[in-house]
Amino acid sequence: MAQQNRQRLALKHPSTFAQYRTLLSKDLRQEFRTKEMVTSMGIFAVLVIIVYGAALALTAQSIDIASMSGGLIWALIVFTSLTGLNRSFSHEKEQGCLEGILLVPLDRSVIYLAKATSNFIFLALVEVIAVPLFMFFFMTTVPFAPTFGMIVWPLLLGTIGMAGVGTMLATITANTRSRDVLLAVLFIPLIYPLLYACVTATTAAILGSAQWMDLYTMPLVMAAGYDVIMLLACWVLYGFAVSA
Amino acid sequence: MADELAIQARHLVKAFGTRRAVDDISLNVPRGAFLAIFGPNGAGKTTLLRMLATLSRPSSGTLAIEGVDAREHADQARDRIGLISHQPMVYPDLSAEENLLLYARLYGVADPEARVRELLDQVGLLHRRLDPVRTFSRGMTQRVAIARALVHDPDIVLLDEPYSGLDPHAVDVFDQLIDQIRPGHTFVMVSHDLRKGFSLCTHALVMARGHVVTADSKDALDFDAFERLYRETVGMGVA
Repeated sequence: MAQQNRQRLALKHPSTFAQYRTLLSKDLRQEFRTKEMVTSMGIFAVLVIIVYGAALALTAQSIDIASMSGGLIWALIVFTSLTGLNRSFSHEKEQGCLEGILLVPLDRSVIYLAKATSNFIFLALVEVIAVPLFMFFFMTTVPFAPTFGMIVWPLLLGTIGMAGVGTMLATITANTRSRDVLLAVLFIPLIYPLLYACVTATTAAILGSAQWMDLYTMPLVMAAGYDVIMLLACWVLYGFAVSA
Repeated sequence: MADELAIQARHLVKAFGTRRAVDDISLNVPRGAFLAIFGPNGAGKTTLLRMLATLSRPSSGTLAIEGVDAREHADQARDRIGLISHQPMVYPDLSAEENLLLYARLYGVADPEARVRELLDQVGLLHRRLDPVRTFSRGMTQRVAIARALVHDPDIVLLDEPYSGLDPHAVDVFDQLIDQIRPGHTFVMVSHDLRKGFSLCTHALVMARGHVVTADSKDALDFDAFERLYRETVGMGVA
């Protein structure tokens, strides 16, 4: 029988962080080259703002837009993130790339962390444009409360949670036939506690009422707790989800 | 004997619910051998190959890759395996070089840049290394896929219908590349193409309905008799 007798190439296993960095830079390079995900999310966000404009045009004088703004901003973010998350695994499924990555000896949760980070970056990038655009179109007549800048924290915590949970669900639904619908059906109920907390904290920061600190702090702690629990759960379960 | 085996599988079973896609398969693949696995659609060939590639965990049975228990130490086994499939497993929007560097860095190849250039030269794509894979023909993409599978210098190369979608010229180029890398490697190929697979292999195995119908060294087989046996047992649905 033909016997192997050759010098193998030396492999020095990279650290988990090095593998994470390699996968993340691949996702970023790919997206900045195609701009597929950011463009589709950006266009969708603008379209939602246009729809808001049509829906609120006739009632803008009689409603308190400031007290609704937290909800409107988060509705915009949730639907925009769904558009992006649906696309986040399309590159991985195309030409069997995910299987190629799964052939590599690496902790499956590294794939999750890299993909969740890239989804967070793309979503945050769209928010940086869409939220000021919302303010410009709907809130120029509303006096800004001194606490307004504090909307950054619920936006940050909400985006982290959505990117984390959404990445897990996008992986699970990637192989299903009606993945677009299934992702929305699973995503919205699962992020509801986070959404509720973020809407409350964002609205409290925008209104800046006398009790704003009470209305702001507790939801923010809830959002942070949600993020920690859900990201840990996704980290632990990802290996099973991606292999199944 | 066992340390001469590249792959040793014992009573492998892969069940999806109550259906057994692979049902109690045992096989020994000696180092340096070229095993061709034939069978009709749904025979369980690809499921078996996915288990050998550690992409799918067996429901029961044991699997050793180069002496490493692939169920317990899948990561160690993955270092020794390269898979070339009909899907190239490369990112179309990245260049050939970027794709190979990605895999080289994930595997921990010592000098990834040098290794990638060596492989691109070997598959004849050094001049197109900076072009996105999306701009490549099917045959060129499959050459990138060969380089990807070899980037970490595996001992065992698994081929899953690698000729699927290739034109005759691309098939010739692919064959030449396989000939080049054949010394020192063990191959397992899943194919529908009886004549092509038989011409390449040192050992042949026929599967049907999750079972091994026949398995033997090519020296012990005559192609016409083998083809007749294949058609009788598989084509007639006897298996």
